Amino acid sequence: MAATAMSVSERPVIHRLPQHKYIDAVRWLPPLSTFDRFAVLAAFDTDSGSSSIEIHSLNPNPLSLQPHSSFSSSSRVSSLRASQFLQKTVVAASTAAGSLHILFSDSADATFESEVSMPEEEGLHSVPGSCVDLMDGGVECVTVGEDGRVNLVSIGNSNLSCDRLFDSGGLVSYTAAKWASPMEFATGGYGFSLQWWDKRKPGGPVSQFKANWDQKFTAGIVHSIDIHPSRKHTCLAGGSLGTVFAWDLRWQQQPIILSEAGVQSISESEVWEVQYDRCIKSSTTSTRILPAVICSEDGILAIIEQGEEPIELLAEPCAINGFDIDRHNPSDVICSLEWEAVAILTRR
Amino acid sequence: MSRVASDTVGNGALVPFSEDTKDSLAVYPLHHGLAPPISRIAISWARGNSLRVSLFAAPSSEHSRTPQDHSGGKVLEVKLGVGDPEISDSRWRQIAYGSVAPFALLQSRRSALSEMIKSSSPYQMDWWENVLEYSKDITSLLGGPKLPPGPIIEERTDIVKKREEPTCLKAAWELLEIFYADKQSQAWLPEKLVDWLADYDSLFSSTHETVYGKLARFQKELVNIQVLEDDPRYWEVMSSALSVGWLDIVVKMLRLHGSYQLDQLSNRELENGLVEAVAVLISKMPRLCHESTNGKLGELFKSKPDFIKAWEKWRSQITKLDCSPFWIQCDNHHTREGLRNLLQIMLGNTESLCMATCYWIELYISHFLYIRPFTTGIESMYNLAQKCIQLKPPSSNHKLTGLIVGILEENTEVVLAESSREFGPWMVAHAIELLTAGSEQAEIVLHDERYNLGGISMIELHRLVYAQVLSSHALTWQIAPIYLTSCMKQGMGLLENLLYRQSIQHNDLLLKNIEICRLYELDHISSDIMKVAGVYHWKHGHKGAGVYWLQRSKDTSRLNRIAQQLFDSVGKSISDESFKQWEGLIELLGSESKPAGGLEFLHKYRDFKRSLQQIYGGKSTDAARQAVGSLILLMKNPSTPQRFWLPLLYDSLKLFNWKECPLLNVSETNLLLNKLQELSWARLRPHFSEPNLPAEALSSIRLALATNLGRAILDE
Repeated sequence: MAATAMSVSERPVIHRLPQHKYIDAVRWLPPLSTFDRFAVLAAFDTDSGSSSIEIHSLNPNPLSLQPHSSFSSSSRVSSLRASQFLQKTVVAASTAAGSLHILFSDSADATFESEVSMPEEEGLHSVPGSCVDLMDGGVECVTVGEDGRVNLVSIGNSNLSCDRLFDSGGLVSYTAAKWASPMEFATGGYGFSLQWWDKRKPGGPVSQFKANWDQKFTAGIVHSIDIHPSRKHTCLAGGSLGTVFAWDLRWQQQPIILSEAGVQSISESEVWEVQYDRCIKSSTTSTRILPAVICSEDGILAIIEQGEEPIELLAEPCAINGFDIDRHNPSDVICSLEWEAVAILTRR
Repeated sequence: MSRVASDTVGNGALVPFSEDTKDSLAVYPLHHGLAPPISRIAISWARGNSLRVSLFAAPSSEHSRTPQDHSGGKVLEVKLGVGDPEISDSRWRQIAYGSVAPFALLQSRRSALSEMIKSSSPYQMDWWENVLEYSKDITSLLGGPKLPPGPIIEERTDIVKKREEPTCLKAAWELLEIFYADKQSQAWLPEKLVDWLADYDSLFSSTHETVYGKLARFQKELVNIQVLEDDPRYWEVMSSALSVGWLDIVVKMLRLHGSYQLDQLSNRELENGLVEAVAVLISKMPRLCHESTNGKLGELFKSKPDFIKAWEKWRSQITKLDCSPFWIQCDNHHTREGLRNLLQIMLGNTESLCMATCYWIELYISHFLYIRPFTTGIESMYNLAQKCIQLKPPSSNHKLTGLIVGILEENTEVVLAESSREFGPWMVAHAIELLTAGSEQAEIVLHDERYNLGGISMIELHRLVYAQVLSSHALTWQIAPIYLTSCMKQGMGLLENLLYRQSIQHNDLLLKNIEICRLYELDHISSDIMKVAGVYHWKHGHKGAGVYWLQRSKDTSRLNRIAQQLFDSVGKSISDESFKQWEGLIELLGSESKPAGGLEFLHKYRDFKRSLQQIYGGKSTDAARQAVGSLILLMKNPSTPQRFWLPLLYDSLKLFNWKECPLLNVSETNLLLNKLQELSWARLRPHFSEPNLPAEALSSIRLALATNLGRAILDE
């Protein structure tokens, strides 16, 4: 493991907040006012066997999370997204049972005030393991699953309407999805495969990426994708075996590997989530891949940058299952830790 | 484990029980909501401490059946036991998570040390420092930072400060630390115990009267008392607090004495002088202490000779005051008697101490403070404890007293048994580290491999038990491997069991499982798990995921077998539209070097199909040649299933009849003709399935190949 040493003054301030529930996913909510900050947590209480999606308010002194509003979900949340639409906050959650919940919260007080769901009986996805991404502006969702279905769900005030864009019939499974533009999105799956889709062209992906990975090397599963708004042609993906790579649509079949298991790697296990680091202002003219933050099964939260040593932000004795960078305060990162806790980092 | 219930279903009880067993019986009501009668019950273990109870309703007779009555049975989980009232389940899990890192660190240090011993002979004498560090880490986990010892008076009405609730678990751990891990404290054991009781006296209130309880009750009534010094409870509570050494409380309470009030000071001058003299003496009490404890009253001494000198001087001052003539002049009877009682306590009057303390541990502590401050050695401490138990026989047993007696008896087995009984498997598995640091004798007892335990040591046994507890919970099973791998004999076997037992349905869990295999280099297990996952996904129709996992586990034989199944659907649905769906799967198969078994056929088939598509688009001879290349490769390859031969050749008719030039040379054409011949023999065998092709397919292929052969011969 290689990581550049940080001086004490550069080290982030870390708060670990035990939740006494397993945290399946965590997101910052878009800010409602300059003073109040909120995060949304998908929690699973093993004692009662119940799942919930909870809004917590962030109290600054001492830093703590206060339960604010809660919605009980029928099954465990598999992925969680938050966005803003008009004056409302929209939270989208896909569950292990294959249902989809869209929660609206009033911007004034950040409590859940209405909800529309696509119950599992509607057959959005037939198997455990589905992933949702909410379009910026929050009017449309894409959900993908291991059953090989790619659905577009448009969000109305009182109902959801689902449109199946593609169904591979289980021949191909999808494990991650991310919008690139209002018309295009990317998905990822087994064997480090990535697909590029266009809403206007149903019937299959418009482009597929599948490099010939190293012979000795087993290709893994893509767990997370991010696409930077300023560089829509580049798809950043993180997955098994500490692998993080970028796929430039213009340079097809040539992955740019940012990290993989081996000498230079910061992690050798599953990279559960990857996001472009909005904290670092990189020159826009640079042709290099923008710096990104990753979290991993072996408890690492780190910044990786093409051609640079990774910078370790957090090293935990347990897995970091997910994280979110606050878009409006990019120095703040919230992480969900395997040991029933949430960690909040403030970078200086 | 199942039994048919007797016929007493009417009142909801399933099995009748007699009155005499009622005490040892725990009744768990089942809210099954089924209409009686219930015909059958099956009981089995579920995860952890839960029982799974399956209830089957008797098939109801026709006339009683209502439309809603369609449920024939119900499965319920019953959680046994009520859990720990002091520590909730989620708090226990936090403790379990937190103790992983200190435990792992200590184990790695131990193995590093044993490596060192192998190379150089002298035994590392300061191993206990590592254990102490470990112990401190665990302590910090069990509760917040340690506050200044003893309850403190802040306001007039605030004698006992409310602090974080102490727990018996933390008290027990600190006790073990004092006696076993902290070698530096050996000389100051009595003082350490005094501090310990100051922190945890309140815990004993649950079973009997304590000084803490008295103080807390008195504090509540304080606001209602007009003249404090006339209330006998004021003096009683102070003497109790003094007897267990809570000096600051006593001094603060003395200063509440009425004679300090400005309007009374002038006519109660003498009385006030006596109160103040006692208060000063109390605050000057010499204490033996090896570290400067802040906020503790008394004069602290670090060396014994200094302490002895100061102690004797202090005692003589008390005696002098006790014999002073001022007492006769003091006309307040309550003050006089109360203060003199305090002096008697400080002089170590056994009777006064016995009166002031509530139970034997407090009496024991008061002995250390005022009678035998120089007690050293566990044996003499044990004798003193025996004496105190005789003086104040315990009426009921608190969970901590058994532990204390076990420690003083120097009986490792009793200490272990008490820890296990009262505090559970977490405590034993972690406290054993302290016990082994305590003495060589304990280490031998704990490390000795025992025949009656199946050849494992006590240490291993308790770690295994704890690991089993961890394994039984969905959120803690992942830390069980840390404990299992520290068990030499049975650990790995149980770890394998644990890993095999985990569900493979959810990728997150599956990948965590594989990660554990990677950490402990259990490649054969992860390969097996991947196989199971592959077959699971395959069976559930996620063909891509199934193929992926089987490929990762390098299971060629299963890939071959599923290939045959896949081809069935390929053969039927390879029309150009649905081929899009297959593309992703074929991509997944990766390069040819990957183990794909029979599936590698799909690869070549895809290449062939692609080049054929190009031909239908334009009319390039190059593309056609490429297609022929693919076709020949396919036909040569032994993994190409026979039933594809005819459809492949039929698809290629256009190539054989190529206008510009013959695309196949003589040998290639012969190869295809031979295959055709082979096929016609195969048709004679039973179980040959006729491909779904036009009737004239075979003859048209034959004709085209013959034509091509002729042209090729001419060309050459």
